[in-house]
Amino acid sequence: MSLLAMSSAEPSLWSPEWLPRLPQRLVEMLLRNCHAPDWLVSLAGYAVAAGTVVAVFLSAFALLSLIERKTLARIQNRLGPNRAGWFGILQPVADGIKMLTKEDIVPAKAEWFLHLMAPILIVVPSMLALGVIPYGREWVPVSLDLGLLFFFAVGTLTEVAVFMAGWASGSKFPMLGAMRAISQMVSYELPLILSALGVIMVTGSLSLPDIVNKQGDFHLGFIPAWNVFTPWGLTATLIFFIASIAEANRCPFDLPEGESEIVAGHMTEYSGFKYALFFMGEYLGLFAISGLFITLFLGGWQAPLPGLTIVPSWLWFFAKLAVVIFTHLWIRGTFPRVRMDQLMRFAWLCLIPMALLTIPAAGIWVFTGGGLKGWLIIMPLLLVPWLILTTVFNRRLASQTRNYTFADS
Amino acid sequence: MILPLLILSPLILLAALGAVWNARPVHAALMLALALALTAGLYLCIGADFIGLVQFMVYVGAVAVLIVFSLLITRPGDEAEELARRPGSLVTGLACVLPVAAVLMYAVSHTTDLPYGTAASPPLPLQKLGESLFTDYAPAVLAVGVLLTAVMVGAALFARDPDKKPTTPPES
Amino acid sequence: MNVSRKSPDQNGGGQDARATPRWSMPGLGLVKGLVVTARNMIQSYYRKDRMTTVQYPEERAPISPNFRNFPFLCYDGDNPATGLRCTACSICEKECPPQCIYIVLDRDENGKSLKRPKLFDIDISVCMNCGICAEVCPFDSIYMDGQYEMSTTDRFGGLLLGLDRLAKSADYHMKLRPLEASEVAARRKAEEEKKLAAQAAKEAKAKADKEAKAAAAQAAGTGKGETA
Repeated sequence: MSLLAMSSAEPSLWSPEWLPRLPQRLVEMLLRNCHAPDWLVSLAGYAVAAGTVVAVFLSAFALLSLIERKTLARIQNRLGPNRAGWFGILQPVADGIKMLTKEDIVPAKAEWFLHLMAPILIVVPSMLALGVIPYGREWVPVSLDLGLLFFFAVGTLTEVAVFMAGWASGSKFPMLGAMRAISQMVSYELPLILSALGVIMVTGSLSLPDIVNKQGDFHLGFIPAWNVFTPWGLTATLIFFIASIAEANRCPFDLPEGESEIVAGHMTEYSGFKYALFFMGEYLGLFAISGLFITLFLGGWQAPLPGLTIVPSWLWFFAKLAVVIFTHLWIRGTFPRVRMDQLMRFAWLCLIPMALLTIPAAGIWVFTGGGLKGWLIIMPLLLVPWLILTTVFNRRLASQTRNYTFADS
Repeated sequence: MILPLLILSPLILLAALGAVWNARPVHAALMLALALALTAGLYLCIGADFIGLVQFMVYVGAVAVLIVFSLLITRPGDEAEELARRPGSLVTGLACVLPVAAVLMYAVSHTTDLPYGTAASPPLPLQKLGESLFTDYAPAVLAVGVLLTAVMVGAALFARDPDKKPTTPPES
Repeated sequence: MNVSRKSPDQNGGGQDARATPRWSMPGLGLVKGLVVTARNMIQSYYRKDRMTTVQYPEERAPISPNFRNFPFLCYDGDNPATGLRCTACSICEKECPPQCIYIVLDRDENGKSLKRPKLFDIDISVCMNCGICAEVCPFDSIYMDGQYEMSTTDRFGGLLLGLDRLAKSADYHMKLRPLEASEVAARRKAEEEKKLAAQAAKEAKAKADKEAKAAAAQAAGTGKGETA
């Protein structure tokens, strides 16, 4: 079955590239020594690979919850949590204990089955999506020919889960939050997928390892051939990044869960571990979509300079992931929340036209063969519509006359 | 290949029956989403990866979400449940469905010209699918595109508030 | 009244009158905002004014000299028993609005007042920190303290402060409120000196009177001795 095909190239035993494969190979070696049947060996191998990915990202989630609080605090001229352990390193442990020991309250008007399934269904797509991202040279947990399509397909499951969370809670805030969340996610799904289309066109494949492998070249000896360094790629990077912030429900697009507006949106009626699952699903989704962003545009596990390939590829991937996540935190600490109508207007009137323009731009790039000629031809094609969209329409809105009717008329 | 079919088909049937027989609209919509998701699983089992994933993304991720979203906004409540229990609905439903089912089963069982479809053959490569879609079936794709554009424009026109005057830019 | 007021850009008059807003690069505002927060974050590591957190309870923010919270009794010197300025006149007890002060005058075995309190209790769960007791005291003895960590687990007696906990030295007052304490100390010293000067003048006058009287007596005594 094509879904379970696995790549067979192995790095040499003495390079640090071996590290991500270590648990899986150890378990397989152990089982083969015990003369286990082949299907059991491969099944155990897959289980351990999946377990490795989940374990790494769950600990990354715990660490991120602390780093986010400390980074936001430093931006706001204060220290973050620093009481639980040295520099607050045990704060995630404290949070975990708190979430586990809280009473699980289900409202009387809620549908208990859907109320229970919603947090589970929010975590599952994120974990599934983490399985198709290539983390290192020739190492991807599941190598699918249609990896990118699989990623987007499971991403849409999150919307159904958000609806379930909102509707099954049986109260107003969750329903309102779910409405806003679904409309936001559906609107920003389009720029997300459209901006990835340019990458698919240039690479000619939907398989994520292939997309990363194609970005391994170096122009002029030192400029990496990452997709962000092409004109259509730069536009697509910006669009994808903004859309990924909106898909992950993060500030400035966190209206569905804005604390000052609708309590916690679709997560209002959840307490204890279910809330922790929502939290975890949101952060794991952030990791997944940032991982996809790096894979599509920032060259995945490729090193930025030719001499730096001695550093293991998975280390480059996680370094880039750290930079992208830090940018997410930086943006969260800087911008105010956008209003619902501003959000929609931005998605439908600015991002989607620009994303649609990157597709012919990518085609022209392939036809002109890239390089400086491609930049010179494509830049006007992308810059002029952007300037038109952002200046003419905004100016028209800003200088409208206002009619005031007073009450004594 | 027969085992996934045996497991999935009854589940799909049950989900579909739940979708049409459930009195509460939201439950029916969610059962419909489940039926569509299981159908996607069936596609994946027979090797039609692309169709399976696209089915999941489009039907479960877009169509079902749109249905539940409209239910969220309009919140039908008890009237829908009343309507579902109208007498005679079973007879009219069966009268619509049974002829279509008979024609479909006849067509499927008498089809012999399927190059890809047996368990032993490899799945259709994506390149070939894309090429044939945009060369052999290009008119169909273009027609669908025109249709979808017309639908979108029509929907935008319907959704517009007829009383509101369009905003005109100032003279300056 | 239907007023059609144009937006400020088109209002006409002054430097802000433009038909359309000035064009600026789209997205530049976002970048400027990001630069501000990045600067905040980096400078918070080495600049004191960008990290103003006081890590309570290891550090405490300095309290201002105008801060007042619960009274204390002032004593001169080292011994609270002998140096206490309070004479138990009970003016503060009478003036206290929520009546949280309870004073018992110390009398000797004959019933004569010893001009010091035997009992001086303030219930700080009742005290409203108004400072009236400090304003009305004629003996510079009761002032407002700056203690804010007075929590206790004893619900019934823990917030009733007696003389032992209320008496604090004048040095403490000087550290807490230097301006007020130095003014009080200067005043008291001036009074003390005036008193001493008056005492010295009185003694000198008494001495002079005595000498005059002795001289007069001597003169009278010699006169009387001649006639006998």
